[in-house]
Amino acid sequence: MGLSVPAVAVLLVALLCLDPHGRVGSAPICAHGPSGCHVPSLADLFDRVIQHSARMHSLSNDLHSEFEQYFLPSKNHIGKIYRKCHTSNILTPNGKENAQKLAREELTEVILKLLMAWRDPLFQLHQSMAHQQDFNSFSSNKALEMGDMAHELRKGVEKVAEKMRVLGMLGNSVTGLSAAEAMLPLSDSGEAMSDYELLYCFRRDSNKVQNYLKILKCRIVPEHDC
Amino acid sequence: MNTCGIDPAHLRNRATEIKRETAEAMAYSLSLGLLYLGLLCGNGLVSARSELFTPDPSRGPHFTGCRSREQETFRCWWSAGIFQNLTEPGALRVFYQTKNALLSEWQECPDYTHTVKNECYFNKTFTHIWTSYCIQLRSVRENITYDETCFTVENIVHPDPPIGLNWTLLNVSRSGLHFDILVRWAPPPSADVQMGWMSLVYQVQYRVRNASHWEMLDLESGTQQSIYGLHTDKEYEVRVRCKMSAFDNFGEFSDSILVHVAQIPSKESTFPTMLVLIFGVIGLVILLVLLIFSQQQRLMVIFLPPIPAPKIKGIDPELLKNGKLDQLNSLLSSQDMYKPDFYHEDPWVEFIQLDLDDPPEKNESSDTQHRLGLSRSGSSHVLNFKSDDDSGRASCYDPEIPNPEDLASLLPGHSGRGDNHPLVSRSISSIPDLGVQQTSEVEETPIQTQPAVPSWVNMDFYAQVSDFTPAGGVVLSPGQLNSSPEKKKEEENEKKIQFQLVSDGAYTSENTARQLSTEVPPSPGPEQGYQTFPTQAVEGNLWNGEYLVSTSDSQIPYLLPEAPPAPILPPVSDYTVVQEVDAQHSLLLNPPSLQPAICPHSPNKHLPAMPTMPMGYLTPDLLGNLTP
Repeated sequence: MGLSVPAVAVLLVALLCLDPHGRVGSAPICAHGPSGCHVPSLADLFDRVIQHSARMHSLSNDLHSEFEQYFLPSKNHIGKIYRKCHTSNILTPNGKENAQKLAREELTEVILKLLMAWRDPLFQLHQSMAHQQDFNSFSSNKALEMGDMAHELRKGVEKVAEKMRVLGMLGNSVTGLSAAEAMLPLSDSGEAMSDYELLYCFRRDSNKVQNYLKILKCRIVPEHDC
Repeated sequence: MNTCGIDPAHLRNRATEIKRETAEAMAYSLSLGLLYLGLLCGNGLVSARSELFTPDPSRGPHFTGCRSREQETFRCWWSAGIFQNLTEPGALRVFYQTKNALLSEWQECPDYTHTVKNECYFNKTFTHIWTSYCIQLRSVRENITYDETCFTVENIVHPDPPIGLNWTLLNVSRSGLHFDILVRWAPPPSADVQMGWMSLVYQVQYRVRNASHWEMLDLESGTQQSIYGLHTDKEYEVRVRCKMSAFDNFGEFSDSILVHVAQIPSKESTFPTMLVLIFGVIGLVILLVLLIFSQQQRLMVIFLPPIPAPKIKGIDPELLKNGKLDQLNSLLSSQDMYKPDFYHEDPWVEFIQLDLDDPPEKNESSDTQHRLGLSRSGSSHVLNFKSDDDSGRASCYDPEIPNPEDLASLLPGHSGRGDNHPLVSRSISSIPDLGVQQTSEVEETPIQTQPAVPSWVNMDFYAQVSDFTPAGGVVLSPGQLNSSPEKKKEEENEKKIQFQLVSDGAYTSENTARQLSTEVPPSPGPEQGYQTFPTQAVEGNLWNGEYLVSTSDSQIPYLLPEAPPAPILPPVSDYTVVQEVDAQHSLLLNPPSLQPAICPHSPNKHLPAMPTMPMGYLTPDLLGNLTP
């Protein structure tokens, strides 16, 4: 072989960096600033984040259906027992118009709050699912993946918020979430929520996050029919 | 939990009972309703009215369903059931409650649809997504809650069917039997997909027209899909429906569209292909035949490999063909299988002569036939008492013993046998073994055949065969020397010879045969020690020509040397020297010296003193002594 492996790697990286269409996949490694590298636009960032949230919601839906199928077969899909989630205290817009009326900063903050609130409960959920023998390993892996996704999504949304702040679209009212914001998932009676309740709640909240992000994107990035 | 002035315990109990009942009822009725809905959609009716849900007539008032089309509003329907007295409007009322953080109370349905019976419509203001609703069906007059159900709006979303379903032909197969189409549609206008408020996935179904089974394709998030493998000349129906991704509720189907592609009769398309196929096959066959003929030799080698030639390890076959004798000898001597020492140990083996076999004339005829003289070849025959080579005999050659009858048949008396009589020869090598074998009664005389051994003349170790005993023994004359040692020798020799003659199973000599054959009276003089044979006996009729035949040449076996055969009883010397053995294995004798026949001494002069040895045999080492 004429070229050694490190030389090939360097060449490859250089090609990726120089390629103006190299937007596919993750962001290119740019150690020295924007020279030669293409920074993804806000629209791209939003797209990625929205895709990520869609995946997360899909996972949560799968887990919830699985749980329902195996553990609560008597439930029909219309009659849902009301469950109070630990995130019910967070004021969230309950409709499209309400979300559209909300300020960008508030919307962003709501999203971040929701994601932050689910950091620990998801970890707890994975732990409890992994320990139970009723779940197969596939389900517990899904729970773990879901927790990781939530974490990454939060990081992504923070980056988006940062970018928006840089671009001047957001005011400075968006504050970093403190540790006090993290809530423990407690039900009304103070007991820890069961796995099914957690899944139910997270399914709902992930749908919220997904839709909020879409509304936010539509408001931030001007597109047709938005 | 808010009680609204009603006893909580009673209400709770009642509520649970009702919940259970309604849960089951709802499931059943909803499934029936959906089925009916599906059927009606196939006929193209508009969707989602309360009448479409088949109410359960056996039940009391109950909800028949709640649906949202675009996740912004929703409707609920109920039925009075068997309580026909409650069918007038206003008798039953719907109350709802949103179960969110805020404590909320039961509120009545915001909008009873006027156009549709028993429908409650919640507009955007009253629709809260991600909020649990509980609705109740009450008869206010009687203050009875007949039914209650809870849900969240996103879980009851059934999107409207897609619009604008159309198809375009992608391609038709070469045979004209199949075609592919591309089906396109647009999302329902009520769904806000641009913003992404509803992310829809679609499902396309198709079937042959009026068939019973719909083919379902995979969920498609785009707004177009290809359908492959449709048959021409068949009419197809295609329809599409949608649902929210990550949710389970499909909306209704769109209107079906008809797809039909006429089959183009293309007979000429098949004809060229058939021709091409036929010509291709013919060409291939021709090519194959040419290939086989051109490569015939190689193919023969491949399919019928030649049998490998025998190969001696370490010896080049070319050398065997073309090499010189010295090289061959050295080569062969280096091989293990050839043991020259063997020869020295058993000198007789060295001189095994295979001349008994006469390959071109043998013709695989048996020994018996040989003896019987049935073989017709005119060349020299050998009385072949040797059977097949692989008879498993010892190292020394061990010929068979012919039967006396067979031997007798050789006699000229049995002249009917034919012209040729096999002659006898023997080799030295066979003698020792023969000497020790018991043979049957055979009258034989060992003949000593020495190829090209000249100077025997002076040997004293020959004895003349004077007579044959009836028993088959050969009586030897004591010899003409009359010298006691010689006589003794001769006597010894005689005995030995007799012994050997008796024991020699395979051979007889011309002399023997002659003696056997002819009715020659005993020798004119025993003291002469020889017998003369009538020449007639020698003539070709009886004997094979080459072998000691021509008495005219005075070729006489050494035992009984004779004068030139022209006279019948020529004065012959007792002994003569075998000059050589010619190619046909006949003994060429020296012409007898014109010595007086009754000169007994002459042979004696010629015979050197020889050590005692078996009559008629000469060992190679003795030969070495003899040769000058």
